Amino acid sequence: MRRAEGVRLLGLCAQSEIALVRRDPVAVALLAQAARAAPDGIAADALSRAAAIARETDLSGSSVDANAARKAVQALTRVASQEAQAAALGEGDVPGGARGQGGSA
Amino acid sequence: MSASRVFGEDAARLGEAALELTSLEDEVLALARRELPTGAYLDSHVHLGRDVDGHELTGDQLVSDLDRCEVARAVCFAPNDPGEDGAFRAANDLVLAAASAHPDRIVPFARVDPGRGAEAEISRMAGHGARGLKLHPVAQRFRPESEESVAATRAATELGWPIVIHAGFGARRLARPIAELAESVPGAVLILAHAGRGDAAGLADLARRHEGIWFDTSLATLVDVVGLPPARLLFGSDRPYGEHASALQLVALARHLAGWTDDEARAVLERNAAGLIGDAP
Repeated sequence: MRRAEGVRLLGLCAQSEIALVRRDPVAVALLAQAARAAPDGIAADALSRAAAIARETDLSGSSVDANAARKAVQALTRVASQEAQAAALGEGDVPGGARGQGGSA
Repeated sequence: MSASRVFGEDAARLGEAALELTSLEDEVLALARRELPTGAYLDSHVHLGRDVDGHELTGDQLVSDLDRCEVARAVCFAPNDPGEDGAFRAANDLVLAAASAHPDRIVPFARVDPGRGAEAEISRMAGHGARGLKLHPVAQRFRPESEESVAATRAATELGWPIVIHAGFGARRLARPIAELAESVPGAVLILAHAGRGDAAGLADLARRHEGIWFDTSLATLVDVVGLPPARLLFGSDRPYGEHASALQLVALARHLAGWTDDEARAVLERNAAGLIGDAP
């Protein structure tokens, strides 16, 4: 992940995480943008899945199903954010980063 | 076939997404396990019960999550559910009941409000086998260095208990108040939750001057965890606000970036917490 890609992705992940905590529907758009910004790897998979679930979920809802979906989306966003942070700190050499690069034994 | 729980949620609540989520969680866990040594991991930060904000976790659900993510045990305390008298008695009893049902998996801690009968509740919980204390200065609106907080910390320390202190979300600086608390109760073991992200630089500096200052990794920021010594770190998930897959991923990434040895990683995942609750060999 190049530095500029990492900065863009980290910003979008952080914005998405706050929007999810606040149960703000703007998280749907932010997650879609984050998914497009992520290079191949765990972060891209997690954000694509998070964006898809968020589109189908009433993020401001308080039903048991809505809460479960929102929590799952938060977990996926956290996974992506941590991978992006690791890439930024380690210049891309992290397990789970762009597949085929930087895995460790 | 989908797991019954995924990312800490009931898979049945997630509909068709559950299958793909299970596959993704499996991948996150596999990458973490590849980076981390095997062992009897001890999660040092779990809330059992129902928070006033709606977050909820039962002992049975937790054990299912621990099994899925291959975590051996968890330190558990009440969420923010102080009850009508504010003393956390009923919420603490729920934690004790879960520990009684799963004695090999759940290590009970007491939670108190320092201003609401804390010393009596600490004593009562000690009599029922609790092994540590949880304090939340933001939720219970007290200052860590206040007279009541010092008294609760002293009572716990006299029992040989470690004290987990929320050090995440909150507006106030924490380094000076935590330093005052540590200096008021010599020998206190203070575990600052969330790697002290509420005042990360100040607390990391404080830890260099006070040997009783520790940190847990629950819902922490990677850059903070990487900058802390593994000899002072405890793995934690903050279930049900966090979950185990990303919690293990965080430790794996930190280990990779900071270059911890297998022994240092084992200390973070198990040995440091076991030692603080008196389980070290």
